[in-house]
Order: sequence, then C-alpha cells, then structure tokens
Amino acid sequence: MTPSGSAALLSKDALRALAQAQGLALSEVDLEGLLPLVQSGRTVLAELAGAPIDDVEPTSLYHML
Amino acid sequence: MADLVWASMGELARLVATKAVSPVEVVQAHLDRIAALDGTLKSYITVMGDAARQAAKAAEAAVTARETLGPLHGVPVGLKDLYCTKGVRTTGGSRILGDWIPAEDATVVSRLGAAGAITLGKLNMHEFAYGPEGLNVRYGTPWNPWDPATHRICGGSSSGSGAAVAAGLCPGALGSDTGGSIRIPSSLCGLTGIKPTYGRVSRAGALPLAWSLDHVGPMCRSAADCALMLGAMAGYDPRDPSTSALPVPEYAAALTGQVKGLRIGLLRQFFLETAGAPQRQAVEQAVKTLEGLGASVRDVTLEQMKYSAGVVAAVISVESYAYHEAWLKTRGAEYGPDVRERLLVGAFVSGADYLKGQRVRRLLRDEVDQVLGGVDVLIAPTVPVAATEVGAREVDVNGRREPVRPSLIRYTRPFNASGHPAASVPCGFTADGLPIGMQVIGRSFDEATVLRVADAYQRVTDWHTRRPPLGA
Repeated sequence: MTPSGSAALLSKDALRALAQAQGLALSEVDLEGLLPLVQSGRTVLAELAGAPIDDVEPTSLYHML
Repeated sequence: MADLVWASMGELARLVATKAVSPVEVVQAHLDRIAALDGTLKSYITVMGDAARQAAKAAEAAVTARETLGPLHGVPVGLKDLYCTKGVRTTGGSRILGDWIPAEDATVVSRLGAAGAITLGKLNMHEFAYGPEGLNVRYGTPWNPWDPATHRICGGSSSGSGAAVAAGLCPGALGSDTGGSIRIPSSLCGLTGIKPTYGRVSRAGALPLAWSLDHVGPMCRSAADCALMLGAMAGYDPRDPSTSALPVPEYAAALTGQVKGLRIGLLRQFFLETAGAPQRQAVEQAVKTLEGLGASVRDVTLEQMKYSAGVVAAVISVESYAYHEAWLKTRGAEYGPDVRERLLVGAFVSGADYLKGQRVRRLLRDEVDQVLGGVDVLIAPTVPVAATEVGAREVDVNGRREPVRPSLIRYTRPFNASGHPAASVPCGFTADGLPIGMQVIGRSFDEATVLRVADAYQRVTDWHTRRPPLGA
C-alpha cells in the first residue's frame, strides 16, 4: 500500500487488495475502469501536500450562528 | 395561456391574489406545456398532475374565501427529485430508489407548501446528484432548451430544474448544489439561481451527496423570484443541526435597484483568466454595466483556490461513499456506470486525506472571508464554457482541449468548500445562442446583497428575459 496522500502509482493488484479489504467484490473489468479514476484522485489529493496547515484544525461547518 | 407560463413567480402570485387569474388556469397552463414539450426535454421524472390540479382548486377557494395568502399562493414550482415528498416517489434520479415513497416531506417542501406554492412534479437530475453534466441513463438526459437541434447538456446535477424553468414548464424550481449543481445549470440554461450560505436553508429530507458541501436553493428566471422563493425556504430548522439561528431578512425589500458605492472584487486570476473568450468578455461587460450604475471595481485574488479541487475531491468522495457504501456492496449493478465508478473512488481515500481536505478547506474559507472584508461582493464567470453536446468528453477552451467535467465545476466548487453564498446570473450569449452566466459571491449570510446586485443588473439588462427557441 502506498503512503496516504502521495501520488505514487497504484497497481491493479494493490487496488484489488484494498477493495477486498473494504468488502467490495469488484470484477477485473471494474478494477480496470476504476484504476485511472483512483489514480487521478490521488494525484489531485497529493496537491494538498503543499498547503500550509501545520496549525490548522479541520473545518467544522456544523455550528450554530 | 402562453403568457402564464412566462410570467414571473411574483407576477403570478399577484395575479392570483387579485383574482385576475385562477391558480387552476396557471397550473393547467403549465401541465399543458409539460405534456407538449417534456417528451423531448425530459425535465420531469414524475408529473403530479392530479395533485397539482387539486391543490390549485383549494388555492382558488382560499382566494375566494379571502383567507390570508402566502407569498407564493397559487404559484407552481418543480422539485428536484432528491427532495422527499410525502406519498410521492422520490428517486434521486436512480433505479435504486425508483419506487421509494417517503413518509414525510423535506423541510423546504413543507415550507414552500406553507407559502402557498403548488408542486407540479419531481424534476430529473444526474443520478444521486453526482455529476455536473446532468446526465441520466435511467430517466433520460434532459435536453437543453436553448438548442432544439442538438442534444446539449443542461448542466448538473439539477439538469431537470434547469430545463424546466428555462422552457416554461415551471416558473421556479428547487435545485441543490454540492459542487455547482444550482449555478452550473442556471448558467447553461440562462437562469438565475442562488446557492445560499451553508446553514441558511435546511437540508432535512434532501437526499445527501456530501453532507458538509450540500446546499439547497432556488432556480428561477430572475433574482426577484429567487428572493421570493428563498425567503419562503430559509431559516433555522430543528431537523437540520447545521442550520443557523440567524434571522432571515426580507429579501424582496433588499432589492432596491441600487449598487451605488458597492465595492466589487473581480476575480481574474484562476477565474476570468482561464475562461473561454465569450464568457470572459460577457462578464467583463457585465462588470462595466455595474460600474456604470455606481459600483466600484477592483481586481482581487484568492491564492488558496489552487487547493479547491483537492479539498472538494477529498470531502465529496469520502462523504458520498459513506452514504452509498451499503448499496454499492449489495446493489452496485443498479447504479449508472459513471456514478458507480465515481462513488467507488471514495473507498480508496484515507481518513487522513479526508481530514487534510477539511483542514485545507479552512484556508479557503478564511481567505474568502478576508477578501470579502475589503469588498462587498466578488464576481467571476460561473462556467468557463457553454453547454456541450451530450456525450462530449472534452471541450475547447481558448484553443486548449479540456475534460468537460472538471471544466464545469472549476469556478463553482470553491464556494461549496467555503460555504459562501453564490448566485449565477445570465450575462450574455455565445455566437451560437447559448447562455452565459456570471457568478456573484457574497459574505456569509449576506444573500441579500448578492440578490441586490443581481437584481440591479437585471433591471438594466434583458438577458434573463430572453426565451429559448422552442416555438412558443
């Protein structure tokens, strides 16, 4: 498993293992279709790595004003 | 009868209240038009003809009996089919909920009903609201009324709302907006729509896509009608813990037509600079018009926007997967293929990445707050392109080929992440006759100023009054 948040390439075998761990029964066709989407999602998420959030807590919009 | 389907919601309410027209006539005129056009437009999933006629007769009786009338008394509305309606199926645009009949109304449905609105039916949408094109393999993809010759997208996910209001099949509709789903179809269909501040309008009884990004709002043919509809919907709801207890202002009273002294921040970097040429020119011209009305304009920059794609991807993927996980595991084949794939992506995003998105989200929100400390509203294009053909995967933007889906949401999703109110207002047409929208973004809970700017602009322009070439 690649480190969270990195854009390192994910293999189909790794995706299959992750899906099985989640209880998802995905076919080979499913995995082939999903792999580029998961990969591009990881690339977008990796862009967050440069954000200056050392002292920033998660946003909570569930508050009363 | 033709004029009734093009009358504003305010005008219809006035005509009904003064007995100049019966709500029965108003409702029947819209039902007749739905029957005539919706076989092609596919804007409705469920038409509630009998219930609407019955409600119209009751509304007529209330007028005759001189009862106190609500601000939308006798005015028809359409509801995106993710709002629960007691006793009427609510599909979410999906096969999975194809026969689901809720036991109670969504709060906004109840409030619109209490204001006197009459529901014509449930409107088509991208399945479970997860797509900015507004496609639907189960119920058919709505047809953008502005191009009768070519099947173009309405924008989504509130595509049925966009088609129906633009084509005169209802004067106003409920949309919902998680990444732009009110503003994108408003832009592509030539409508005015507003995503209110997060917490301004209850989400109770609305099928969620992503709880912390979902917003409920109106789509109409003018800012004045949006003000009327929003006023009937907004306010604290004990069924939705995220709603604000702040009082709801009288939005209609805020529409003074005046913008003299108003300070506009024009978003060039990230927004205007990357829009298609027709969109850029239309928005620049609209800003000049507002300047001519007495507003001052200066360029402003939101540096953190570069993170908006990552923030929304982290949040929407995990929250949507969490809602759909059980169905994906047991009824996965019943989803449309595009939505199923998109939902499954959330299974592979870690908790740490989700929280990183929520942490960076704070930077976005704080920066928008900070910039809005120096100006009253921000202006940007709503969408960088016009309505694309259904099935197109790429679109040309100033000579660059870009994928359609991320292009559509690029300018709208930042304000789902920040939670600020944002409206789309018609501001021109392409050479092909397709609508262009301008986005007006305001301070948190200051929908009144957003609507005032939109209304002032519409008092001196006629983009919002033009009708699609449907032959009637």
